[in-house]
Amino acid sequence: MSTPYTRQEMMAIATGREIKDGELAIFGVGLSMLAGYFAQEHHAPNVRAMTEGGVYGSTPVGGLPWGIECNRISSNATSFTSALDALGFLVASGRCDVGIIGAAQVDKFGNVNTTGVWDGEIGDTYRTPKTRLTGAGGANDIACGAGRVVIMVTHEPKRFADKVTYVSSPGYLEGGESRARHGFVGGGPSAIVTTLGILRPHPETKEFHLDGWYAFSSPEEIRAATGWDLKTFPHAGVIPEPTADELAALRRVDVTGALRKQ
Amino acid sequence: MSSSKLISLSEAVRRFTWDGMQYASGAALPVGSDAIAFGRELLRQGRRDLHAIFHCNTQQLNLLAAAGVVSKAECGFSGLEVFGFANGLRRAVESGQLALEDWSNLAIPLRLLGGALGWPFVPATVNIGSDIQTRSAFAPDQFPARDKIPSVTDPFSGQTIGAFSPLKPDVAAIHVTLADVQGNAIMLGTEWSRFELSRAAKKVVVIADAIVDTDCMRQFPNLVRIPDILVEAVVYWPFAAWPQGSPGMYDVDEEHMRLMNKALGTAEGTEAYVRDYVTAYTDLDSYLDLIGRDTVARLSQGSTSFLLDPYRRWIKSPQEVATLIQKEAA
Repeated sequence: MSTPYTRQEMMAIATGREIKDGELAIFGVGLSMLAGYFAQEHHAPNVRAMTEGGVYGSTPVGGLPWGIECNRISSNATSFTSALDALGFLVASGRCDVGIIGAAQVDKFGNVNTTGVWDGEIGDTYRTPKTRLTGAGGANDIACGAGRVVIMVTHEPKRFADKVTYVSSPGYLEGGESRARHGFVGGGPSAIVTTLGILRPHPETKEFHLDGWYAFSSPEEIRAATGWDLKTFPHAGVIPEPTADELAALRRVDVTGALRKQ
Repeated sequence: MSSSKLISLSEAVRRFTWDGMQYASGAALPVGSDAIAFGRELLRQGRRDLHAIFHCNTQQLNLLAAAGVVSKAECGFSGLEVFGFANGLRRAVESGQLALEDWSNLAIPLRLLGGALGWPFVPATVNIGSDIQTRSAFAPDQFPARDKIPSVTDPFSGQTIGAFSPLKPDVAAIHVTLADVQGNAIMLGTEWSRFELSRAAKKVVVIADAIVDTDCMRQFPNLVRIPDILVEAVVYWPFAAWPQGSPGMYDVDEEHMRLMNKALGTAEGTEAYVRDYVTAYTDLDSYLDLIGRDTVARLSQGSTSFLLDPYRRWIKSPQEVATLIQKEAA
């Protein structure tokens, strides 16, 4: 019998497994930072992590940072630089291997909306959103420049749309080769890791397919929570549950238990 | 030897700001250093119709937007990170009172760099291909937007990329950790884009948590990323970023961050906040009383306090600074 864990913890661990040792990585604030520092704690001790504001060599102290420049991530840094340095010299240049970003809404080609919620399509005039969200932040720059991007998102029908209302951060745009027309140095999203499973892009069409589900979820549940006709890869199957070591490592990073809340 | 530029906060706002100006501030993401004390004074002096340029939204922009004095804003990020959505900014945007032009967190420093270098445009390899390029809040009827990030051809490769317009804000109020009276400034923590902003803005006012002797700058000249020749005025204001944090100086006041953002979610709450936390103090002493002396002491002993250790011997006491300001005024 394994230790009980939450869906959020499973998502963080599944995301962390995407990070390989020695990679240059950039994490956003919140869940993606927990997933990244879990990877560092568990299987990627030599991951070189930075924040988009230019904090290098540090780990969060006293809980999750409130923000990218906050004191909890500034207490044991080895270098402070700037956003131009982190997002520009190290990400837009193509040097960064992997980034983790979040999404309010994601579509079948991995495009991300974090800008707003509109009733229906925006139309020809840029209308005020019904609900204004946070905007792109550094996620657009990471989506354009990082070698690959992992999108981390709660799996709910309203978040998984056939087409996002507003593309804040580009995935594969209209699919196929459409991303290539912009000459982005980064390769695009390699996975959408959710609270129910993992989706990955089809090598040619770039449409996201179901790649795996968790011990507690099922392909049926995932399809019902996805706003497009989700196809399943032939090789798709159950994703291994967190090991005792993985859970212990995650909980050392998640000192305030943010992911343990149901 | 150049003379002192140390002036009071109210004098700085009187002298360097006006209605309708392009105002840049907000050094960092919402919980990092931000010259919000300057923003509170903008409200106290009734400035309005501002065109705000903030790399990221901060509590300062959240407050100014909530109070209805910002008509246009340009940001790379418009939330409050772990504290959630910025309720004041959100309310102003959703009501149509404020036009918020979206960029990314790299686009803003690149545009400032373009302004600083006097470039006609900056090549854009980010923001293109997304709705940041095709949608403009400043030209809502253009779709796709023609003038926001126009497409240009890389003359070397033939690749279609974008062109960012350079930024040259009228005035930048830049929060720094330490400044001398001439305007040499040291920032602890990430600069975010304060280096580029200090070169792009037409005029720079630095708001310092502490005033140090110029000998401090001579000891650490590599760390003086804003030299005095760029600076018009220096304002001394401890806890200038409160309730946000200032690495080395003070931690985030989490309780007030939440209280403030909640208040800014409604017109009534904003009115009460302005009454209680913007117009309620008359000087530095009453400002620190308002924060609460216990809170000031507690937030001053954070996990980053050691960052300030090398500089402490040069920090001037509030009395010494007051004497310097009086000398300057006389």
